[in-house]
Amino acid sequence: MGSPRARILSIGTANPETYYTQADILERFRVKNPIVRSIFSASHIKGRYLFLPTPDADGIPRESQSELLAKHRAGALQLGRQAIARCLESEGLKPEDIDYLCCITSTGLMLPGLTAMFVRHLGFRNSCHRADIVGMGCNAGLNGLNPVSNWAVANPGKNALMVCCEVNSALYIYDDSVGTGVVNSLFGDGCAAVLLRSDDTDESRFAPRVLGFQSHLIPETWRAMSYHWSDEHGKFYFNLDRDVPYVLGTHAETPVAALLERFGLKRRHIRHWIVHSGGMKVIDAIKYTVGVTDHDMRHTVGVLRGYGNLGSGSFLFSYKRLMEEGTVRRGDYGVMMTMGPGSTIETALIRW
Amino acid sequence: MKGSLETQGSLKTLRYTEDGDVATIQLLRERTTMRMVRELTTVCDHLEDVSTCRVVVIRGAEGRFSRGIDFEEFRPDTPMDIHGFNKWEKCCVRIERLPKITIAAMEGAVIGGGMQLALVCDARIATGDLCMQLNEVRLGFLPGMATFRLAKYIGLGRAKRLIMQCPELSAEEALDLGLIDSIAEDLEVAIAETIASFEPIHPVTLELARRLLNESFAVDFENAIGNFLAAQHRSITQTAFLKTLKDHQNTSE
Repeated sequence: MGSPRARILSIGTANPETYYTQADILERFRVKNPIVRSIFSASHIKGRYLFLPTPDADGIPRESQSELLAKHRAGALQLGRQAIARCLESEGLKPEDIDYLCCITSTGLMLPGLTAMFVRHLGFRNSCHRADIVGMGCNAGLNGLNPVSNWAVANPGKNALMVCCEVNSALYIYDDSVGTGVVNSLFGDGCAAVLLRSDDTDESRFAPRVLGFQSHLIPETWRAMSYHWSDEHGKFYFNLDRDVPYVLGTHAETPVAALLERFGLKRRHIRHWIVHSGGMKVIDAIKYTVGVTDHDMRHTVGVLRGYGNLGSGSFLFSYKRLMEEGTVRRGDYGVMMTMGPGSTIETALIRW
Repeated sequence: MKGSLETQGSLKTLRYTEDGDVATIQLLRERTTMRMVRELTTVCDHLEDVSTCRVVVIRGAEGRFSRGIDFEEFRPDTPMDIHGFNKWEKCCVRIERLPKITIAAMEGAVIGGGMQLALVCDARIATGDLCMQLNEVRLGFLPGMATFRLAKYIGLGRAKRLIMQCPELSAEEALDLGLIDSIAEDLEVAIAETIASFEPIHPVTLELARRLLNESFAVDFENAIGNFLAAQHRSITQTAFLKTLKDHQNTSE
């Protein structure tokens, strides 16, 4: 049917063992600032899986930047190992069967990168082709899916694995400010792995083909989501502007319209929306600009509620829920959408 | 015919015309068949994809609007299924969410599905001979998602009376309840006046206002205010609001 396409054949996800409700976190770190407390309690997030440090007697945890980097490394290995095993298990594959490995993270800088660490520890072949996409933020899952699906198409029958691995708790700084309060109330730890392959023998399988991508950058909001070094804390921290969710929403219409037009489709032809769980404001904004319903956003909202913002892998957690729900039918179209720093909106069209 | 639907020739249950900014859908059949549902859906496709009209008028023919569902298509000796009803509801939602102002211009009988259709329009006007009724429960079935929409218009108590006791409402009674906005002496004149009353038409803002209103009663306040803020952000970044600000600036200088 037309040009060859890669299919998303399976997915596996993983999170840390420990789950914290928003109230747990307020108590653990003895948050006093009433504004920060209200941000946590008014949140659309019920709880999150996190690698949280043990606080000192004053309620403040003391983690140096080097400890945070080590936490990212160890957490990524733990979550990556589980997510990859779960993804490959259903296909009867092992890491040694993977021909291309792409890892995505923005929550810690490693050199050598995640792919090298996974080859070293998880049993991938030394000859496995690799790419690390680092520092692109929450949208990066689709920035990765684009080259991964292209690689799969260029190498029919070969197995390509994409792993989105974020240890957001390795970015935490603790003070009583509203800015850190917003960030610390939002992000969770998690990893998602997806297997892609372009193979005629998969033709009869119920797995969506990746049809195309559309990107959109909003350069004038360059600083709206950004990493900075804090001399005071001796750590990196993440800045999130107040109004950026709505700005992202306003622009979300542009790549969606271009993507659908390219494939001769209308909004009503899209049965499934697989959208990054960035936060409730950006989800609301997308509803009223792209014109999607609460029902379309059910998994995006559900993942936000249960996990928080998981960064690059968030949308894949929604994808997994959609597949488990059992409402997808052969021939259905879906749009994947991720938003992040840049400011960036990435979209992809898939079809089952 | 200018701006006519490409598939006009295949429309049997409807007449679709465009005149300038205004599209008119005329319900030619007294009762709603599955064919009419399909044709309404086709017209919705056209209105969304092709038409530049900003207003859609839905009206009847031969002195009546619509008498609702056509039982000719049902066979009492075959198993019943719900799919046709589902298609009808999907069609109603399409009309309810059209990116156009929708006006139900009614005369005579507005029964059952006809009244359901009127409830999804942005404005409802009728001539003095209106006879409005949701008669479904009396016939042993349900008046579609009027069970969801009607109480928002008129309150739960009145909705219970209309749906469970199935009274026939005169034009005056319908006006009193807020089911119609006005009684027209001359329907053509009233249609023109109703269209004019929406001017200036800011499509995005009107559509957002309608969506928030349709979601009222059904969304809790926490989520509703999030929805409102997102919709308001979109509104105030549109040219209409920026023009309002410029006009204001000019007059105050």
